[in-house]
Amino acid sequence: MRTRFHLIHLVTGVLIAVFLSIHMVRSHLDDILGTDDPTSWESMMSRATDGMWVALYIALLAVALYHALYGLRGIILELTPSARAARVTTWCLIAIGIAAFGWGTYVPIHLLSG
Amino acid sequence: MAERDTKQVTFRIQRYNPEQGGAPRLEEFVVPTSRGMTVLDGLIYVKEDLDSTLAFRASCRMGICGSCGMLINSYPHLACHTQIEEFHSDVLTVKPLPNMPVIKDLVVDLTPLFDHHRSIMPYIVRPDEQEMENPTAEFGQTPQELNDFLQFTYCMKCGICVAACPTSASDKLFLGPEALAQCYRYCADSRDSGQRERLRLVDTDHGAWHCHLAGACSESCPKGLDPALAIQLLKRQLASQALGFRKKQLPSPVVSPPTESKTRIPYPEFSVKAKK
Repeated sequence: MRTRFHLIHLVTGVLIAVFLSIHMVRSHLDDILGTDDPTSWESMMSRATDGMWVALYIALLAVALYHALYGLRGIILELTPSARAARVTTWCLIAIGIAAFGWGTYVPIHLLSG
Repeated sequence: MAERDTKQVTFRIQRYNPEQGGAPRLEEFVVPTSRGMTVLDGLIYVKEDLDSTLAFRASCRMGICGSCGMLINSYPHLACHTQIEEFHSDVLTVKPLPNMPVIKDLVVDLTPLFDHHRSIMPYIVRPDEQEMENPTAEFGQTPQELNDFLQFTYCMKCGICVAACPTSASDKLFLGPEALAQCYRYCADSRDSGQRERLRLVDTDHGAWHCHLAGACSESCPKGLDPALAIQLLKRQLASQALGFRKKQLPSPVVSPPTESKTRIPYPEFSVKAKK
């Protein structure tokens, strides 16, 4: 069972690199790409109301949260090895992950919807 | 015969007796050493001539049994496989192997190591139990199939890889490089059919995926094995099984032993001439 979670951990690591690269290129290579200033209000609002960009940022948030929290779980379980610690840690991190994902997706979904 | 050079080397040996209590302490012994003398020879000198209460474990004195694993100058070695001269130092610090409970002085309790070893089913599992119990023939295996796991059969369970492993240091439930490498050894054996069950045992929070690939096990193994490689190959088997790429392997069939063997090397014929 651990194998599947670990493989997802590896895949999310790759996805973070891909999604973050797209974000970095769009946000910092505007001079080379010849696009508008990515820090301007109009540019940010145009991205925030574009379904593709919203989906990209929500996906980035999801994979980054999984990758970070699963890695953190591994460290905690190594330092406090017991079945109870594993159970408590897992459920706490799932709760933190859901809360952080809900909080992080509220603004883009709100902007997209209206 | 030329006179052998002798040199005085100070052995700083960790002494600890849990029955008497107190903290572990280092005790110094001056040992006259000569070229070719091993750390185990030095410890035997200390026990026979200086302090008979010193406790350490040793047996074969030739790197086969794996009994004399200890921490020599902060690095896990077999005492019988390590010459004093190698360190180019007048002081040697000898401590028990880390990551294991100390019984007395340099003797550690290897029970956790053997418990972990036992937990991964370190034996051939086959469906034909009758043939296993009362063999009528041999289980076929090609030299190539043997090569897949041959080096891991040389493990002598000395515990040095576990002592060197940083994950074993922090996670006491971690199966450890020895057990994981032996798990791979049996999973890779073409005569075995217990892979699925064995992979389930190491697919846990403290199993194969907990290895950080520090490589300290392979670096320290006195037999030159590569347990880190075995763990990586075990991870590959786990991933293949989880993704459905792993074909169900049938254990190698029972084959009759050869009826006649060809002599590869022509042996010279010796005959004893009768004295006339």
